[in-house]
Amino acid sequence: MLAVGYFSVVILVGWSKGLVAEMIGNGTGILTGQLQVHAADYQPDKSVHATIGGREGTDVAALVNAVRADPAIEAATPRVYGGGLVSTGSATAAAVFLGVDPELEPQVSRIMGALERGRHPRRGANELLIGAEMARSLGAEPGDTVVVVAPAVDGSLGNDLFVVSGIYSTGLADLDRTFALIPIDALQFLMALEPTRIHEIAASVPDPWQAAEAAERLSAVLEGAGFAVGVESWATLRPEMVEYAQLSQAFQWILLFIVFGMAIFGVANTMLMATFERRYEFALLLALGATPGVIVRSVLWEAMALGALALAAGAAITFPVMVWWHRVPLDLSWLFGDFTMLGALMRPVIRIEYPWLMTVQAAVALFLTAALAAVYPAIRAARIPPADTLAGR
Amino acid sequence: MTKQRMPAVKTADVWKVFEHDGLAVEAVRGVSLDIEPGEFVVLAGPSGSGKTTLLNLLGGLTRPTRGGVWIDGRDLTSMSERELAKLRLERVGFVFQAYNLLPVLTALENAEFSLLLRGIPPDERRRRVEELFAVIGMTGLEDRRPAKLSGGEQQRVAVARAVVGKPALVLADEPTANLDSAASDALLGVMADLNRERGTTFVFATHDTRLMERAKRLIRLVDGAIESDDVRQDMGG
Ligand SMILES: Nc1ncnc2c1ncn2[C@@H]1O[C@H](COP(=O)(O)OP(=O)(O)O)[C@@H](O)[C@H]1O
Ligand SMILES: [Mg+2]
Repeated sequence: MLAVGYFSVVILVGWSKGLVAEMIGNGTGILTGQLQVHAADYQPDKSVHATIGGREGTDVAALVNAVRADPAIEAATPRVYGGGLVSTGSATAAAVFLGVDPELEPQVSRIMGALERGRHPRRGANELLIGAEMARSLGAEPGDTVVVVAPAVDGSLGNDLFVVSGIYSTGLADLDRTFALIPIDALQFLMALEPTRIHEIAASVPDPWQAAEAAERLSAVLEGAGFAVGVESWATLRPEMVEYAQLSQAFQWILLFIVFGMAIFGVANTMLMATFERRYEFALLLALGATPGVIVRSVLWEAMALGALALAAGAAITFPVMVWWHRVPLDLSWLFGDFTMLGALMRPVIRIEYPWLMTVQAAVALFLTAALAAVYPAIRAARIPPADTLAGR
Repeated sequence: MTKQRMPAVKTADVWKVFEHDGLAVEAVRGVSLDIEPGEFVVLAGPSGSGKTTLLNLLGGLTRPTRGGVWIDGRDLTSMSERELAKLRLERVGFVFQAYNLLPVLTALENAEFSLLLRGIPPDERRRRVEELFAVIGMTGLEDRRPAKLSGGEQQRVAVARAVVGKPALVLADEPTANLDSAASDALLGVMADLNRERGTTFVFATHDTRLMERAKRLIRLVDGAIESDDVRQDMGG
C-alpha cells in the first residue's frame, strides 16, 4: 500500500513536472524565446519606433554577442516587428511581420522548424514564410507572389511584392494565422529602418528556470556596457505560466498529503489487525518483564523496517517506469489529439520529468506514514493485559 | 544477631474480585501466605478455585483488589506498570500452561530471552542456557524451533527460560496440563532437581492429584481461599 502510494505520488508529480516543462518549453520555445532584450521604452506599447539604441540604432552584432556571452544563454537572434497586410489580389489578411535572421532564428525558436511546405526565406530576398491558417485564408501556395503593405517609421507606407517561400504549421491556430516571417534586412528596408535598428533580441536558455536570473544578470551587464535596454525573461512575459508552475507545485503537496493521509488509515488498520493476531506474543513479552516502552519501541521499529521494505518495493516499481516514460513518453495520441494549455501546444503523451526532490520527499512521507500509523497499534500492544490474554480471555 | 530471613513472596489478606456481567466474582478471597526461598510449593485445587489468579497476584501480573503482595520484601501494590515489569524481569520466572514460547525463535533463543531483555551479553547468555540445558536434558536441541519440539521439550525450554535469570521465585501454572504422564513426571523431575540443586523457589499450580504427591508443601485452594497448607516430610534425595 505504501509502495503503491510512493509510486503514484512520484509518477504523478513527475508527469505534472513533465507537463509544466513541456508547456514552458513550447510556450516559450515556439516563438517567444526564454529571454528578450528590448529598448528600455519598448514595453508595454511595442511601438515600431522604439528600436534599440533609439534613432541611431545599435551595433547589432556587438549586442548579440554581448547577450550570447552570458553563461546561461545558448543562442541569441535579432528581430524586427511590423504590422500590416498581406494581399493576393483576391484576398487580404492582417499580419504581424517578424523580421528574422534565417540562420540564427532556428537556434532560438522552433517556429521555422515547423515548416510544412516550401522552404525558408533567404537573407536579403523579398520572401516570406506564412502560417498554414493565413495561407488558407489567402489561398496562397509556396511560390505565389503577394503584396505586402506595412507602415514605415518615416511615416510613409512601405509596400512591395514578396514571394511566399514556404508555409509553417505550429498547430497553434492563432500563431499560424498571425505571424509572417520575413528576412530581417528585407523587413528593415520595407519599414525604412536602418540595418542598425532592431526591436528585439530573443535568446534561448536551456533551463527555463534559469532565465529570470540570467535576465537580471544580463540587464546589469548590458547597462554597464552602455546599452539602454530592458531584459525580460519568459517569467515576466508569460506570468500565467509561472502561476501554473506554482500551482502544480502546490498540487504536489496536496497529492502527497492525500495519498499518504489515506495510506495512514489503511496501514494503521492492517497493523492493528496484526497486533491483535500477535496478542499472545505481546502478552508473553509483557509477562516476562518487557516494559510497555519496550513493546512500543519494538512495534515502531518493526513499522519502520516494513516502511523500508515498502520504500524498496516502491522504488523498484517507480524508477524503471520513471526512466522509461522519461526516455519514451507514453503515447496517448490514440486517445486524444494535441491540445493547448495556456496557449502552449501540448502533445498527447505522458512524459516524466525526473521529480528528484519529490522522490526524497515521498520517501520521507512514507516513513512518517509508517511511523505515525504504528503509534496507535503500538500503544494498544503495550496495553494488552498479559494475564487475561494468556488465559485466553 | 542472625540475618533476618525474608520471604521470597508474601501475601497478606489478598483479594481479587472480578466484575463479570455485572456480577462480582471473588476469585481470590483473603489469602495470607509466606513462601520462603528454596521452597517447592504445589498449589492444588479444582478448576475455578483461583489458582491462576493467585499465581498472577504473586508474580505481579495482576493487581490485587485488596491486601498486599511483597516479593523480596518489596511492596508490589505501590509499583507502576514499568516497575512491575522490571521486577518480573529480574525476580520472577513464569511458566504458563500453553503458548510459552515465541514460535519464530529457536529453543536457545527462547530460553535466553529474559537475559536478552536484561541486556546480558550473548556469550554469557549462551553459556548459562547451555549449562541449564545440560541439567534438563535439552542438549542438542538448542537450534530447534518450538514447532519441531515435543510438548514436554517445549515446557522444559519454558522452565529453562524461567530459571535462567536466577529469580526469587518461579511460578508455573499447570505446566503439565498438555503433557502425557511420562512427560509430566519428567518435567516435574526437572523442576525438583533445579529446586534441590540451585535452591530455586517454585510455586506450581495443578489439579492433577498424582503431581500433588511430590510436593514438599501442598496448599489446597477452594473457592479462592486456602483450605489447607501442609508441609510434608521430604521425599528424600
Ligand atoms: N479476568 C477475569 N474476569 C472475570 N472473571 C475471572 C477472570 N479471571 C478469573 N476469573 C474467575 O475467577 C475464578 C478463578 O479463576 P482461576 O484463577 O482461573 O481459577 P483456576 O486457575 O483455579 O482454574 C473463576 O470463576 C474465573 O471465572
Ligand atoms: Mg487456571
